[in-house]
Amino acid sequence: MKYLIKVYWWKPLTVILLIYTVIGGFLMSAPRLPILNETIRILHFHVPMWFGMIIMFTFSVFYSLKYLSTKNLVYDLYASQLVNIGIMFGVLGIISGMIWANFTWGEPWSNDPKQNASVVALLIYLALIILRGSLQDDHHKARIGAVYNIFAFAVLIPLLFVLPRMTDSLHPGNGGNPAFGQYDLDSDLRIVFYPAVLGWTLLGFWIATQQIRLASLQKHLDYE
Amino acid sequence: MNQIIALIKKDFLVDFRQKYIVASIALYVFATTYIAYLAFNNVITPATWNALFWLILLFSSVTGLGKSFSQESHRSHYYYYLSKPVHILIAKLIYYGFYEFFLVALLALIFNLFLGFPVENLSLFLVNLLVGASGFSICFTLIAVIAAKTNNGSHLMPILAFPVIIPVLLLAVTNSRNIVFGASLVDISGNLLVLICFNVIIIVMSFILFPYSWKN
Repeated sequence: MKYLIKVYWWKPLTVILLIYTVIGGFLMSAPRLPILNETIRILHFHVPMWFGMIIMFTFSVFYSLKYLSTKNLVYDLYASQLVNIGIMFGVLGIISGMIWANFTWGEPWSNDPKQNASVVALLIYLALIILRGSLQDDHHKARIGAVYNIFAFAVLIPLLFVLPRMTDSLHPGNGGNPAFGQYDLDSDLRIVFYPAVLGWTLLGFWIATQQIRLASLQKHLDYE
Repeated sequence: MNQIIALIKKDFLVDFRQKYIVASIALYVFATTYIAYLAFNNVITPATWNALFWLILLFSSVTGLGKSFSQESHRSHYYYYLSKPVHILIAKLIYYGFYEFFLVALLALIFNLFLGFPVENLSLFLVNLLVGASGFSICFTLIAVIAAKTNNGSHLMPILAFPVIIPVLLLAVTNSRNIVFGASLVDISGNLLVLICFNVIIIVMSFILFPYSWKN
């Protein structure tokens, strides 16, 4: 994070990757599949949101652990801002998923285990924000927030990655549905999808670094 | 070891001297169940019965265990000097484990009286119930530490506790519904194992995180 704040080379890269994603995602050839048809193009916008959310939350937990071991408030700032961006990704992922599901599964919400797990993830992190808001002292807020963040993450990971695999799901790869690799393997989608994941994730980090710089400037001004 | 027993005894004495707190939880359980009994008006299917049982258990556990750390926060400074955090956590986990089992027994009794008890495989139901309930008590004990540090702990307790208990609740309710519908141990052993794993994760996380969350 410190490195990302200091250097700039990855910002033009983000712009190029996202322009490529939008143009490539809408215009390049995509496989024709029954039911999915052209809606498969939303793959480049829906799935990277979840990658982005998990990456943001993972980094946030990493910085929470670092805060607990060093007591340096900078790490708490990183952790809290990354959580905000993760929630943003989560909301966008749910909305894009509901739009996609409306076309393919026939209804926006169908009690799918992954849909439920993602709502739980959002509930946990919104609760974290409220918990942080209800504490006054900076160090107190950082420590209690870090504890809840780590605890919630340890519960969330099995919920997201283990439980949906144990039950039937409409998502690919669960309960007899075609796995991700089957329509992705023809590599038409793959050459757009992987850059899209990287691009959206970097965009998340970009917003996070802006927020971190803004927050540290505001703190600096408050002290003067 | 002596210290742990002393701490458990202390928790028991605190509750024994302020009997109205335990009594209020018992009354809470009774009142909610009775409201459910009146609202459903004797038409209740086994699946609904099962969901209702777990929901009332969830709400009464949050209310009951939410007080575990806040009720003596003004005294906690003594414990900073007198005992290790690990001892305090072990004592609290044991005491509130029994507290939770008391709630479960009470709830089962009241349910049996008013809403019936449509369970044939009682021992399996109880095993699943106790594993789920111990998950509740462990998780809520750590969340109660966190909530006790805030100004409005009693409001925060449910919103902090509900999202993290969902995996345990989901597995326990599914198991329990299958048992009500006549599943045997073989059918639910997979889910039961995952449930136990969840409990282990929560215990391990509690021991790692408690020393950080406990001191001011």
